[in-house]
Amino acid sequence: MKNILKTLLVMSFLWSVPASAMDVMDVVKQANHVSYYKGNDGRAKVNMRIIDAQGRERVREFIILRRNDDDTDGKQKFYVYFNKPADVKKMVFMVVKNMDRGDDRWLYLPGLDLVKRIAASDERTSFVGSHFFYEDVSGRGILEDTHVMVEENDTYYIVESTPKDPQSVEFTSFRSWIHKATFLPIKTEYYDNQGQKIRSYTALKVEMIGGYPTVTAASMEDHQTGGKTLMNYSAVRYNVGLPDKIFSERYLRKAPRKYLR
Amino acid sequence: MIHISDTATRHPKVFFWLSGLLALVMIALVALPSLWPASFSMLYPLEIDTDPENMLSRSEPVRVYHNDRKKEFSLYDMIVVGVVNDSHPQGVFNKNSLSHIHALAEFAKKIPGVISVDLMSPSTVDNIEPGGPGVVKFQWLMKQPPADDAEALAIRDKAQHLPLLNGTIVSADGKAVALYIPITAKNISYNVVEQLKVKIAGFDGNDRYYITGLPVAQDTFGVEMFVQMAISAPMAMLLIFLLMWYFFKKASLVVSPMIVAMISVISTMGLLVITGNVVHIMSSMIPIFIMPIAVLDAIHILSDFYDKYPQYKNRRKTIKHVMKELSAPMLFTTLTTAVGFASLALTPIPPVQTFGFFVAVGVVLAWLFTITLVPAYIILMPEESFADFGLDHTDENKNSPLARMLNGLGRVTYSGAKLIILAVFVLIGVAWIGVNKIEINDNPVKWFSPDHEIRVADRALNERFAGTYMAYLVLEGAGEESFPQFAEGLKAGLKSRNLPEMVPEVEAFLSETKDRKQLVEQLIQKMEQRMEAVSDEEWDNWDLALTWVGEYLGRSEIFKSPEVLNYMGRLQDYLQDTGLVGKSNSLADVVKTVHRELFMGNKEDYRIPGTRGAVAETLITYQNSHRPQDLWHFVTPDYKKSNMWLQLKSGDNRDMSALIDKVDQFFQDNPAPEGIHHNWFGLTYINVIWQDKMVSGMAEAFIGSFVIVLIMMTFLFRSLLWGVLAMIPLTFTIGMIYGIIGLIGKDYDMPVAVLSSLSLGLAVDYAIHFLARSREMRKKYPDWKTTSAAVFGEPARAITRNVIVVGIGFMPLLAASLVPYKTVGVFISAILVLAGVATLTILPALIRLFEGLLFKKDMI
Repeated sequence: MKNILKTLLVMSFLWSVPASAMDVMDVVKQANHVSYYKGNDGRAKVNMRIIDAQGRERVREFIILRRNDDDTDGKQKFYVYFNKPADVKKMVFMVVKNMDRGDDRWLYLPGLDLVKRIAASDERTSFVGSHFFYEDVSGRGILEDTHVMVEENDTYYIVESTPKDPQSVEFTSFRSWIHKATFLPIKTEYYDNQGQKIRSYTALKVEMIGGYPTVTAASMEDHQTGGKTLMNYSAVRYNVGLPDKIFSERYLRKAPRKYLR
Repeated sequence: MIHISDTATRHPKVFFWLSGLLALVMIALVALPSLWPASFSMLYPLEIDTDPENMLSRSEPVRVYHNDRKKEFSLYDMIVVGVVNDSHPQGVFNKNSLSHIHALAEFAKKIPGVISVDLMSPSTVDNIEPGGPGVVKFQWLMKQPPADDAEALAIRDKAQHLPLLNGTIVSADGKAVALYIPITAKNISYNVVEQLKVKIAGFDGNDRYYITGLPVAQDTFGVEMFVQMAISAPMAMLLIFLLMWYFFKKASLVVSPMIVAMISVISTMGLLVITGNVVHIMSSMIPIFIMPIAVLDAIHILSDFYDKYPQYKNRRKTIKHVMKELSAPMLFTTLTTAVGFASLALTPIPPVQTFGFFVAVGVVLAWLFTITLVPAYIILMPEESFADFGLDHTDENKNSPLARMLNGLGRVTYSGAKLIILAVFVLIGVAWIGVNKIEINDNPVKWFSPDHEIRVADRALNERFAGTYMAYLVLEGAGEESFPQFAEGLKAGLKSRNLPEMVPEVEAFLSETKDRKQLVEQLIQKMEQRMEAVSDEEWDNWDLALTWVGEYLGRSEIFKSPEVLNYMGRLQDYLQDTGLVGKSNSLADVVKTVHRELFMGNKEDYRIPGTRGAVAETLITYQNSHRPQDLWHFVTPDYKKSNMWLQLKSGDNRDMSALIDKVDQFFQDNPAPEGIHHNWFGLTYINVIWQDKMVSGMAEAFIGSFVIVLIMMTFLFRSLLWGVLAMIPLTFTIGMIYGIIGLIGKDYDMPVAVLSSLSLGLAVDYAIHFLARSREMRKKYPDWKTTSAAVFGEPARAITRNVIVVGIGFMPLLAASLVPYKTVGVFISAILVLAGVATLTILPALIRLFEGLLFKKDMI
């Protein structure tokens, strides 16, 4: 946390800090943009370490490709190609994130020779056994919650978000610590209806890549089971020039090697 | 001993003050740390232990294994709540009932100590199903209560379609629901259940809620134990007092044995607590054991005093006579009783050891208090109060019905000696048949009476669901090849995949690590670095090799192997066929279910897919759910160890033992792949283990104490023949009792096992008194015929009074609601009465038949 603040402090000098207080919706929009929409597209190699309460560790490694349809921070596509564990290599998870309806999600299981669509019913299920949810990977729509600025200090906007449809989620509210200079959420805590912290996300490392401040290490802790997942990003590149066609069912079975190498 | 009694009669007040002080100190030492634990942390407070697991010592390998596996597979003790509705045609699958069940689960999640993430109820488990062509759907089975009864039925159908839920969460008939509430510790279950009951009381409708599970049973023991100690023990005391009052007609006099009993109980329980022992279901019976035993010696003293006082008309002289006559038999009866109980310390069951040891201590203390306080008490009573006391000797034989009856019995044993011995042989024959029918079996839930709410719930749930008794079967592989072999295989594989240049890299790593995983990780890193520079064509080859290296390491994950999973499936089918298992749940079920749902829910796709990769994909798909952690109840994350969860409808050790044998048989007949071997854990299994230890331990303790008592008898009578004679009534009694247990079909369980040893020490008392007095009296009379008449006077009366007092003294145990207390009460009373009868019939008959042998000239 200390290191990350140092990095962020350096970055603060690169951006002009807006002098006047911002509207909460603008903060949320900006945070959403820097978290999920940087550049036209992007790719990264992600190493995921899932650690349970007993300290037992499992590893997942995948390449994530992302492409924005346009520059409205709206529709976008993700292609997640698994390298590890070896027995699920070539497994692909693909998302088309829609603004007007639930996301379309596909799963390609090479061993079973199966392409499955995952019904949109619930995006708050575990992402391949980790403590991140599917929604954490592709981003939660900012209109799904009501946002209130609860505090603003020198470093952070602290925003409390309450779901508009409480039945669709497992939390009652969440709080985000959004870094003022970069608009990156550095910490997000989810609470249940008794105010107990049930999950928390922390950005562990931020680096400047291709001109964008990028979270390159993050963790998600589950305070109920006592486990956590660490994500490390490497080989991050923006504006790679990913073609739209690779985000299709056809490319699930025939992975676009060019962009995955 | 006479010296101590003498001293006591000279300083009676001092002895009473000292004893009173001792009792007060004991009470203080227990009360202070119990009431103010913080201020008296150096003392041990009163602690209750209701956990049957503690029948095994903490370091017992089986128990250590049980706890390690519980932790490894994240399993907790569970409260089971069953919900049944007989009035609605759809059972609980209607709008109203499911709303309540939903509310109850939500409520339970928030009770402190409940592991909310592992709670199993319709609203907290996932449903996986096809959601239209090409679509698979994960969603909560019942996120919201159903809007109408039709929706409720849909929930039922979904749950019944999933093998992991059918029979577990939803009953086989589709009408009842069960919630499984895991808790952090057994000792909070009472509190959790109370809160659930309050919540349930607020529901309307015709639903019936049944709450059970071993933790609930255990916590209830604690309450029942206190009830038992607070009601049964004082009741025993009152009964004994009334009986003695009846025998000795003088309330003020019979207060003294009561004082002896009280001080003995207080001192013993005090010692138990202040030495840091917890009060277990066994040790909670200590007071009720000491109470009747403590008055035994006092009855002999009073009985003798009652008979002799009219001769002397002087307290001090009478006491002196009585103590002289009784001190040796009293010492020996005390020692034999103590030995009988102390022999329990030889059993490998810690609570039984504590029980045996402290009852032995209590017996010795009671003796000490008896030979000092009873004479002292008599001295403290004014001489005038004895004015009309005692048996009138002028008319002794016709004085009481008891005296007349015993006189008659004495004559019968003389004239009908042969007939008596014949009857004994016949009875032994019958008993032998019974003994051979004895079935060793126990079940802690059956420690409650059949109408107890736990038993009712137990029956209701096991009728409808797959079973509330849990046993776990762990499967584990034989292990991997040696590290050098592993490395050789790795190198060979790289060569055959056209990457010989990586072989030296492997060799270089070999000097750094001896860990397979580390070696492979380093190799992969190196390969990935090299891959960055190669052409696309070469890259594909590298990529294949990379996959192979990962899979080469992955071979150790044996529970992803289709062969292993299919073997598990066969084992499960076999388990189902034994009829002993209500249902088994395993990793194979998870894989089969996910596979089926991925293929549109087709019945024929309920199977293990053919390749490791395909299995891995079903497993990772399963982990896309709301509860990915559920997988780790069935397998360790390294896939080297798997856990099969068996639900049994019966918690009888007999059934669990049969299951253990069946599973051994399966592994013998069907050699497992990967050298897989199995191991058990779970409370149902633990119970079998401590029962086995108990049975063999009890046999040893019994034989041990039998030999010791025989030696003591031989020493006491200075004759092996007389020693053997003294053992006959109790041997006959124990044989008969076990014969009866076998004949009436009562299971040989924990309390019955304990009975043999403890009855040995008590039952021999009568023989000691009878034989010691017989030998003493024989000196005054010319032959056995005349001696017999005298022995059936005061000595026989003392024995009979004892039989009645002790036999009835244990009866209040029948008022207890826990079955083990009742069993002990019934059988200990039966044993003592039978031992008394055996002593007064078999012994005189044998003496009659072997008079010449027993009373040789030199012995008299």
